[in-house]
Amino acid sequence: MNTAGMSHEQALQALEALALDALDAEERVAVLAHVAGCAICQQEMLALQATASQLAYGVKPVPMSSAQRDRIRTRLIGRAAADRVHPPELNPSANSVILVPHPEKAARVSRHWLESPASWLAMAASLVAAVSLATLYQVTKERDDIRRAYQYTSAQTSRADSLRRALEDRDRLIANITGPQVTVVTLASGGIRAPSARMFWDQSVNAWTFVAHNLPAPRTGRIYQLWLVTAKDKINAGIFSPDAKGDAVVRATYNLPKDALAAVAVTDEPSAGSAQPTTTPIIVGINSTR
Amino acid sequence: MPTDDTALLRRMADGDEQALAAFYDRWNSLVHAVVLRILRQRDDVEDVVEETFWQAWRQANRYLAARGSVQTWLLTIARSRALDRVRSVKRLREDPLEGESGEALVQQVGEGDASTDAESTERRVIVLAALSELPAEQREALELGYYNGLSQSEIAERTGQPLGTIKTRMRLAMQKLKGRLQILREDAR
Repeated sequence: MNTAGMSHEQALQALEALALDALDAEERVAVLAHVAGCAICQQEMLALQATASQLAYGVKPVPMSSAQRDRIRTRLIGRAAADRVHPPELNPSANSVILVPHPEKAARVSRHWLESPASWLAMAASLVAAVSLATLYQVTKERDDIRRAYQYTSAQTSRADSLRRALEDRDRLIANITGPQVTVVTLASGGIRAPSARMFWDQSVNAWTFVAHNLPAPRTGRIYQLWLVTAKDKINAGIFSPDAKGDAVVRATYNLPKDALAAVAVTDEPSAGSAQPTTTPIIVGINSTR
Repeated sequence: MPTDDTALLRRMADGDEQALAAFYDRWNSLVHAVVLRILRQRDDVEDVVEETFWQAWRQANRYLAARGSVQTWLLTIARSRALDRVRSVKRLREDPLEGESGEALVQQVGEGDASTDAESTERRVIVLAALSELPAEQREALELGYYNGLSQSEIAERTGQPLGTIKTRMRLAMQKLKGRLQILREDAR
């Protein structure tokens, strides 16, 4: 189907299928691109999505056994309790995210970017990698600081528990960026201030750690969004803002096949993020280990 | 009680696992029913139900009321996780409709879980009544899309109908349902 320049009427007639997630990929992208800039379609889309969700009530209730229900409940609470005290991030602006393979949010899509991934892959290849190796030193130093603090306060149970979790988290982080199965992708840009970044992908545990430097503050109402780029998809890896120094860390867990990662990119997006990139990447790096 | 749901999500976003427990208690039956309907087999249901609520816990701070009710948000997660599982094991079933007539659909009401609350039962009556009014071919297109996760092209191929016909059926079905179920959407707000 030729979906280039989809009209309002065409998009409107596809919203029912979009709400059911029943559009083919190309048409879905074109409809989402229209919806992102059309208040009428956005309104209709919300109503249709709500309608689709009501179909759940048409399903014949089949109760779980009490044992099964309790088992899930116990596991969830246990996982949540372990997760409850979110470990401190490397800086106040850092994000810890779970990736969403199929983001619900509609977005305007840059057709140039969608249709020509090779163009910015080539751009990445032509840029010089320039990332501070001080990242590992910094993380290791923080880990040692936490270890000392932990030992000092071991008598104070509550504080110690918090520090222990932070220490474990730093241990995980160090493992995630130094382990034997870690793939490193260096990102760079051609800007004057030269933002730079590295993505550490620990394939043994599907852990992603993105560390960036010298990023300019996003404009008001905008935010940075990280993408894992494969041959077919650009996967949302989370939104983030750098701190006052331009540094940022994003950590995520996402299972990607070993050879699937083509590149990592960061784009400037609306504050809630986008379903697909809408701007040319400000920083991008190819996976040279494929 | 949409306000309670929103409050629970806020507490979950703040790291209150008791809020997750309450949220799970409130919604687990519905999530289980949807997941089971999509997976058709019980093997992975428990895992997918757990992952649905786990994703809700981890992403509670992303919920935006302006984009829909908590129920819509949660069921979207549940459906996505279930369809991911189906696709990952490539065992999508061929038969979508279980041969249900409109009358049979309505008769299902009351066969359900004795513990199902009155609100859910009332919703179920309304949804099944609305579904029963759809022509069978429209309902088929709707269910193949929603429960089996098929695209319109795949539905056309599966049913042997022209793609344009499938698009029309799906569109008409959703528009009819939108009108009939408006009362539920307003309640969920």
